[in-house]
Amino acid sequence: MEKKRLYWKICCIAAIFLCILTFTPLVIPQGIATPELAGVPYSLWTSFIITVLLVVLTYIGTRVHPGMQNEEEDV
Amino acid sequence: MIFWVWVFGLIYAGLLVFASLKSYKKNRSSEEFMMAGSNIGLTLGVLTFAAALFSTFTFLGMPDFFRINGVGAWIFLAVSDGAMVFLLLWFGFHIRNKVKGMEFRGVSGLISRCYENKLAGYVFFLSAFLFLIPYVGIQIQGIAIFMDAAFPGSFPAWGWSAGIVLIMLIYSEIGGLKAIIFSDAIQGLLLLVVIWIIGWSCLNHFGGIGPMFDKIGTVREDLLSTPGPQGLLTPQFLIASLIAILMIPVTQPQFTTRIVVMKSMKTMQLMAVSLGAFAILVILPTIFIGMYGADLYSEYGRDEFFANAFLYDQPDAVAALAIIGLIAAGLSTTNAQIFALGSELRGLLRGSENSIMRNTKIGIFVFSIIAFFFSIIVFDQLVLLARVSFAGTGIMGPMIILGILSDRKVSPAIIYLSLAGLLVFLSSLAGFIPDMYFGLRLDLLLFIILGLVAVISHLTGKKLQLISPKKDQ
Repeated sequence: MEKKRLYWKICCIAAIFLCILTFTPLVIPQGIATPELAGVPYSLWTSFIITVLLVVLTYIGTRVHPGMQNEEEDV
Repeated sequence: MIFWVWVFGLIYAGLLVFASLKSYKKNRSSEEFMMAGSNIGLTLGVLTFAAALFSTFTFLGMPDFFRINGVGAWIFLAVSDGAMVFLLLWFGFHIRNKVKGMEFRGVSGLISRCYENKLAGYVFFLSAFLFLIPYVGIQIQGIAIFMDAAFPGSFPAWGWSAGIVLIMLIYSEIGGLKAIIFSDAIQGLLLLVVIWIIGWSCLNHFGGIGPMFDKIGTVREDLLSTPGPQGLLTPQFLIASLIAILMIPVTQPQFTTRIVVMKSMKTMQLMAVSLGAFAILVILPTIFIGMYGADLYSEYGRDEFFANAFLYDQPDAVAALAIIGLIAAGLSTTNAQIFALGSELRGLLRGSENSIMRNTKIGIFVFSIIAFFFSIIVFDQLVLLARVSFAGTGIMGPMIILGILSDRKVSPAIIYLSLAGLLVFLSSLAGFIPDMYFGLRLDLLLFIILGLVAVISHLTGKKLQLISPKKDQ
C-alpha cells in the first residue's frame, strides 16, 4: 500500500512536471519551428510526445492509484 | 449528395430511434431517468464522455483554430486534454467516494450539502447556466450554418436551429440520460470516423505530413510555431486554457454526472485512459483539415472555409457523412449540456418526486428554448466561445474541489468569493472592466486567487470530529 502511494505521488509529480515543461521555451520557443522531426514543426512534435506521456501516466496511475484496493467493494 | 444524405441520415435516425426505444421504460424512476441507473460500462462510458466533450467545437472549431493560429492549437487542446484525463483519475476517485451511499442529484445539490449552505449550489447553478447556454447556442448555430451551406435556400438558419432543438427535446424526453448515453456512443464513433475520412483526404492533398508542413512554411511560416500569426497562443493564454480545461470534469455538470454514473471505480479509471487516447485520435486529423484550410482558404471567412473543406471539396458520400457527423457531434453535446442543466435544477428543487420531475422537465424545455434564441443571436469563433465557457465554469473549480476534498468545516468565504469572481469575469466579458491586471489575464488571476483562498480555507478550517461514545457509557 505504501509503495502504491509512493508510485502514485511520483505519477502526480511527473504529470505536473510535464504540464509546466510544456509552457517553457523548451517546448514553445516563440517564433521558432525547428528542429523538425520527420517534417513536423518543433513545438508540435514535442507537445505531441507530452500528450502521449500524459495518457501513459494516466494508465500507470490506474495501476498504482491507492484507491484501487477498494475496487471490489465498489463492484 | 442529397441521395447520400438521405441514406446516412436514415441510418443515423434509425439508430437514434432504436437507442431511445431501448432506453424507454414505462414506469421508470426519476433516478433511472436522470442518472441512467448509475450502471454505465467502459465502452459506453468512454464514448459518452468523448461525445459530450468533442462537439462541433472539435469538428469545426479546431480545424478553424489550427487554420488561424497554427500548430500551437495542439497545446491548447490536446495537451490540456491529456492533463485533464489525469486529473479525472484523481477527481473521479474523490467524487465517487463522496457520493457513495447517497443519491447523487447533480453538483449543485452535492456542493450545497458539502458546505451545508444552499448558496453554494445556487452559485454553481448560476455559473453553469450562464456559461453552458451560450455554448449550446453557438453549437446549434454551427450546425445551422453548415446545413444552410449544404442546402442553400431550403430553410432559414433559425429553421434548422429549431429542428435541432426539437429533436433534442423529443429524444431526451423519451429516453432520459440512458438514451443520451446510447446516442452518444453512436455519435462518438461517427465523429471519429468522419473526422478521419475528411482529415485523410486533406492530408492527401499535400501528399503526406512532411510535405504538408513544407507547404505551409512557404504559405505562412508563423503557423508552424507559437504564438501563431495572431499572437494569441502565448504561454499565458495556454496556461489559463489548461486550467480552464482541467476544470471541465469538476465544473461542467454533464461530465461530473458521467463520472458518477460509471459502473465502478475501475471502469471510471479505465475510461479516463481511453478518453485520453480518444482525444489524441480525434484532434490529430483536425490539424490536417486546418492546414488544408491555411493553404487553400486562408483569406476566407469561417463559414466559407467550413463549406469548402467539409462539403464542396469532398466526394458526395463524404460530404453527406460530414453533415451527419456534424449533426451527431452537435446534438450529443448540446443534449448532454441541456440535460445536465436539468439535472442540476433537480438537485436544487424541493417537494414530492413527481413535482420535482415535472419541474425538471419544464426546466429542460425552458433551457432549450433559451439556447435556441442564443443560437440566433450569438456570433463568435466556436473555439474562443467554448474556451470562455470552460473558463467561466472553471471559476467554480476551487469551491467544488474544496467542498468535496476537505474533511474540515471550512469558512463559507469561498462561496461569496466565487460569486464575486463570477461577476468580475462577466463584467470583463461585457467590456465594463479590463481583462488584464498586472500583466496577467483576468481568468488566470481569478484561478490563482480562488485557488489560494481554497487552500487557506482548508488550512484554517476546523477539523470535523466523529462523535464517539463517552468513556463511562
